[in-house]
Amino acid sequence: MKSGSLGGYIVRRLVQTVPVVIGVVIVNFMLLQLAPGDLATVLAGEAGGAPKEYIDQLRARFGQDQPVYVQLFNYLRNLIALDLGFSFRQGAPVLDLLLQRLWPTLLLMVCTLILSLGSGILMGLLAALWVRTWKDNAISVAAILVYATPLFWVGLMLILVFSIWLDWFPTSGMENVVAFHEGWDRVFDIAHHLVLPTVTLSLFYLALYARLMRASMLEQRGLDYVVTARAKGQTERRITTRHVFRNALLPVVTMAGVQTGSLLGGSVVVESIFAWPGLGQLAFQSLFARDYNLLLGIFFMSAVLVVIVNLIVDIVYVFLDPRIRIG
Amino acid sequence: MRIVGYLATAVISVGLGLAGTGFGGGVALAQKRGGTLVQITQPEPPTLGSYISTASPVGQVAAKIYDGLFEYGFDLKPAPSLAQSWTVADDGKTITFRLRPGVKFHDGKPFTSADVQFSVMEVLKKVHPRGINTFAEVTAVETPDPMTAVFRLAKPAPYIMAALSGYESPMLPKHVFEQGDIQTHQNANNPVGTGPFKFVEWRRGEFVRLDRNADYWKPGLPYLDRVVVRFIADNATRAAALEKGDAHVAGLGSVPYNDVKRLERLPNIQIETRGSEMLSPVVELMFNTRKPPFDNPKVRQAISYAIDRQFVIDNIWFGFGKPATGPTSSNFAPAGLYSANVANYNVPDGVERANRLLDEAGFPRKADGTRFEIVHDITPYGEEWRRFGEYTQQALARIGIRASTRYEDVATWLKRTYTDYDFDMTSNWLFNLADPVLGVHRAIHSRFIRQGTVFVNGARWGDPRADELMDMATVETDAAKRSAQYAEVQKIVADAAPLAWVLEVRFPTVIDKRYRDVIVSPLNIFSNFDRAWRD
Repeated sequence: MKSGSLGGYIVRRLVQTVPVVIGVVIVNFMLLQLAPGDLATVLAGEAGGAPKEYIDQLRARFGQDQPVYVQLFNYLRNLIALDLGFSFRQGAPVLDLLLQRLWPTLLLMVCTLILSLGSGILMGLLAALWVRTWKDNAISVAAILVYATPLFWVGLMLILVFSIWLDWFPTSGMENVVAFHEGWDRVFDIAHHLVLPTVTLSLFYLALYARLMRASMLEQRGLDYVVTARAKGQTERRITTRHVFRNALLPVVTMAGVQTGSLLGGSVVVESIFAWPGLGQLAFQSLFARDYNLLLGIFFMSAVLVVIVNLIVDIVYVFLDPRIRIG
Repeated sequence: MRIVGYLATAVISVGLGLAGTGFGGGVALAQKRGGTLVQITQPEPPTLGSYISTASPVGQVAAKIYDGLFEYGFDLKPAPSLAQSWTVADDGKTITFRLRPGVKFHDGKPFTSADVQFSVMEVLKKVHPRGINTFAEVTAVETPDPMTAVFRLAKPAPYIMAALSGYESPMLPKHVFEQGDIQTHQNANNPVGTGPFKFVEWRRGEFVRLDRNADYWKPGLPYLDRVVVRFIADNATRAAALEKGDAHVAGLGSVPYNDVKRLERLPNIQIETRGSEMLSPVVELMFNTRKPPFDNPKVRQAISYAIDRQFVIDNIWFGFGKPATGPTSSNFAPAGLYSANVANYNVPDGVERANRLLDEAGFPRKADGTRFEIVHDITPYGEEWRRFGEYTQQALARIGIRASTRYEDVATWLKRTYTDYDFDMTSNWLFNLADPVLGVHRAIHSRFIRQGTVFVNGARWGDPRADELMDMATVETDAAKRSAQYAEVQKIVADAAPLAWVLEVRFPTVIDKRYRDVIVSPLNIFSNFDRAWRD
């Protein structure tokens, strides 16, 4: 693979995603139109009641007095200029809100990806090496248990044990709001707050990756090239690390790419439990408030995120397996 | 001129006088300076503009930043705040406020009568969801000098005197808010007030940080260095944060009642049940009185009889309430606006009476034991409402009514109930607020049958005599006459039973025991915490 063609490939892939993302936006827009009630009634409801004039005034301001196709057309036209609109409920431009909330979600996602992939691969590898021993069974049973446990329950139990009983970690939030640390202290403080949410979100995926890795390792070990390597006189250790391991990784990496979308979904639950100020919580709130501008913005950003992660996964393939060509 | 109140005494005496009635059973404690109080508010407020949104979370934050003309004690009587004294003319159509000199906004500019004029006429009367009604009769606010504001009214409006707290009618700086569109003003989320705490930062999804206003006009107050309002979406996590001491105060339903009961047993937690006196939430069942079978008053009365109110309080609201008797909360008793002399639906033989009424109404039991079927919509404000829906289902089954329940989200439910009127019976709760004109009329006056407006007369019931009495009470300045008018209203409405009033909720506030004098006002955590302190 030539590096020049890699740049061209990325550009081509990105161009291809534009119609996909626009399609996603249109479908989401139409779906949201189906939900009964609107932002004006929710705002009035939160206010504990308001006169009709007030509600009409709000609707006109939101542009909801116009036909749906005009609203959609306006939205798409603004989107092309990367103007995601204004969240009337939050009283701020949608893009600002999204960017504010993006990095906590990315932080949580990246840490979860590293932890779950790293330990999942390690556990799968060990289980495959110890196949059909008690250690293999222990790992497999643990993986199934974790896989089957609901996310919110794991989160609450971790809070109960590690926060309330042992007092090792804070219950929730992203930083200490009594101390308001600065500089490196703040970094450590955030890391301290990050532990429980990351572990909670990782456990599920860890189990998934561990099982996949084990199966993949066992499959690869039975293939002809392993026999050839043995015949060549290579050590078992070298066969495992140089050949089997790298080939076995491919399905796990594919799965990790596919799971990014659901990782965002899972982060809604984890962010709610741990009061983590990310996109997931924002999506949840804006859905119930019928804050469509904001919700469409979140969908748009999630779609872009998933597309980018899958692109990265495709590129990673090349480094794992030189036989794979892109383009 | 009739003098209503004149209290130019030092503020500190008011402060200490009320503080003594706070925590510690009246024992005077030496207040300490310093400390951060972490309050949990749920959900996160959409804005900090309490002049444009009366959503509960908004007030929980903004009331610490903005002062009002008055403060209120547990007796609901006005006490001086930004207004040092006031007089009401005999005809009730002129109210003169003497303002407190030397008060400064957080940006250092002085507070004057021009700010009062601007806040009332340009903001509250125009864009505040309740202010549009409250100040409807105010035709002008005159400012003869910087420390005098004169309200001119078209008709007397005694209820205004109950609606001048910093939570209900915040006083805004004219020089900040007069430029630009008030509806989308950039300072909504960067508020500048005269209150005990200054706005510092709002990190969305996390917290709002408010720091001590060192130049607060009450000398030596506030005691706390900082108030941080945190947003935690999950019920169980909120309880855990309070249990561990990560957060110190939560109220107004943000902790589920069953968790409150559990937290109450912890050594570091105290539960305060005062502080609903100016909010007065009433849980009720609202009937669609324009649609059979609920167009028949006997059917409505039957359901009113069939509900065991004490059972609901003990088992669903975990004891945090008292039985409701009619459209007006008993919190209005000190003001003389509550009457217990109404049809009593809370009787031991309620089920028999209900069955008899339904027979009379022409709904005999069929072969399978039922009379008719209805759909019971459940107001979507939390778990206890589902429990209440399940209880109601059972209670109605006893009198032969088969009720199926429906639970939708807030927007859908509001549209169904107040726009489409597509319901039989729905659970609901309305806040009676500081005066019946503000909180009670909207549910039972036929003027408030307004399609598309939420939390008004969704039952679409009205009675000419009751309407007339309420209109009279709205402008009546004589307390005894007003009291008699409301007593008659309550009797008429309770007989017709357009709603079944179930209980008055007493909000429990969960407080970390290290913090004292947190709930010292009938406005609960819509108060400003100027006297709260950390031991």
